[in-house]
Amino acid sequence: MVENLCVFDKLNCEPEIMSEALPTPTLENVGERGESWKAPFTNITILFKHRFLVRNLVRKEIRGRYRNAMLGYAWTVLEPAMLASVYYFLFIMLAGNPDKMYPVWVILGVIVWSCFGKALQATVASLSRNGQTIHLVYFPRIIFPMTAMQGNIIISMMSCLVVIPIILLYNLPITIYLLYVPLSIFMAGFLAIGLGMLVAPLNCVQRDVEHLFRFIVRAGFFLSPVMWTYEMALERGAFGEMVLYNPMVVPLTMARHGIAGESLGIPLAGILGSLGFGIVMWVLGSYVFNRYEAGAVKHL
Amino acid sequence: MTENAVEINNVTLHFPKQRNALKMLINLIWRKKERFTALRNVSLTIKKGEVLGIIGKNGSGKSTLLRIISGIYPADEGNCKAAGSISLLAGLGTGFSGHQTGRENAILYGSILGHDEEVMVSKLPEIIQFSELGNFIEEPVRTYSSGMKARLGLAVASAIHPDILLIDEVLGVGDPQFKEKSKKRILDLVKSTGTVVLVSHSFGLMKEICDRLVFIHKGQIIGVGKPEEMIKLYYSTTGEE
Repeated sequence: MVENLCVFDKLNCEPEIMSEALPTPTLENVGERGESWKAPFTNITILFKHRFLVRNLVRKEIRGRYRNAMLGYAWTVLEPAMLASVYYFLFIMLAGNPDKMYPVWVILGVIVWSCFGKALQATVASLSRNGQTIHLVYFPRIIFPMTAMQGNIIISMMSCLVVIPIILLYNLPITIYLLYVPLSIFMAGFLAIGLGMLVAPLNCVQRDVEHLFRFIVRAGFFLSPVMWTYEMALERGAFGEMVLYNPMVVPLTMARHGIAGESLGIPLAGILGSLGFGIVMWVLGSYVFNRYEAGAVKHL
Repeated sequence: MTENAVEINNVTLHFPKQRNALKMLINLIWRKKERFTALRNVSLTIKKGEVLGIIGKNGSGKSTLLRIISGIYPADEGNCKAAGSISLLAGLGTGFSGHQTGRENAILYGSILGHDEEVMVSKLPEIIQFSELGNFIEEPVRTYSSGMKARLGLAVASAIHPDILLIDEVLGVGDPQFKEKSKKRILDLVKSTGTVVLVSHSFGLMKEICDRLVFIHKGQIIGVGKPEEMIKLYYSTTGEE
């Protein structure tokens, strides 16, 4: 009898003990980072693994942008629209351009460029600005530039809602090419993050990097087709081909052709060059970030 | 059980010294490295189920050692191994974003500390209740007093039960009533968690709950042993008041 009871007891207990003892932790190195050359791939799996954290950090990023503002998210649309009206007057005064679509080109230019510019500045400063969190807990730090970029992509997507009144106002056709508009935002964000990851560790050591990039974004605004278009450059002959060395020409032109319902109209070499630049920067940036991030945060 | 929860082998950690651009350039050319050694050849083994205290003067490397264990700083030399999930309680509520509500911040802070969505959703009512914030939980955190922020931080941080718990001087936030309550909560957490490493300046508490004490001075371990002996050693090394 007694023996029988014991057996029963064992049977009853065993599954519970098993479940308690199953995750017997073994000694492992703490804060283990993957090999740097794998980083361009592992970055994506990290993002998926920590998606709950990423979602919360992105939400924080977006909420922080328009805090205490009565109009709130309306500013995502208002800002490029107001900027476009200023440039419209400026341009008419200087060049007397009669193109009635010009304000639309500028609005889209400003939206795509600010996605790139803000994402770039945010990723460059992503480590130095999160010093407090970095000192509190360890998780893969690639999450900081990633969330900075994602937040800016989402805000720019909201800005894109401005195309709806534009389409109604200008009686534009609704075509499949309209998908170019969100695609150009993604491309702008992708071009920004590689570059941002590349210098984010350096920015922890010397904040000069941050100031330099603020200048780069401001200068790039004029050097890229934001206030002007790729077509305007083409009219100037050789200048049009030179312009294609700027990887941002492709997303900027893509958004404009998307709303006009036209194909891209850029030579294939230009498109491949721009995409190639983004991929090379992603690989290089991932490697450098993974390799130097740990040493850099000691400077924070 | 005689298994080890944490093994620190000959860890040395340097911090770079911040210098202006000219000095940095000169150092770069002469391949000279100006640095501050925060930990020098530190070796320590922490057994499973042990409550270990770390004492030492300000700036002796106590917090840095906890950051080594939690993986925030990788060691320049040596290595650190740990078994199981680690959670560091320090600087409660520093990751809060002021314009989000207390509830949103609780979830954000929980996810920063590495918890899954299911865990946070199931723990949230208990966290809100413990923080005693009442209706304030739906208000933006920027409207909170510093005590309220600390309470919310403690409520979130202490709601989870890691395998290894690291505590860096988080006792004593809020008003006297909450101080008592938080002390009890942390002691409960210490009891229910297998392995605890505690940094504190309140020697009375350390004597009460720690199995062993480690005395760190200027980045080196001077002694490991019984709490009374280590506190005596602390005073004989650093000088009595």
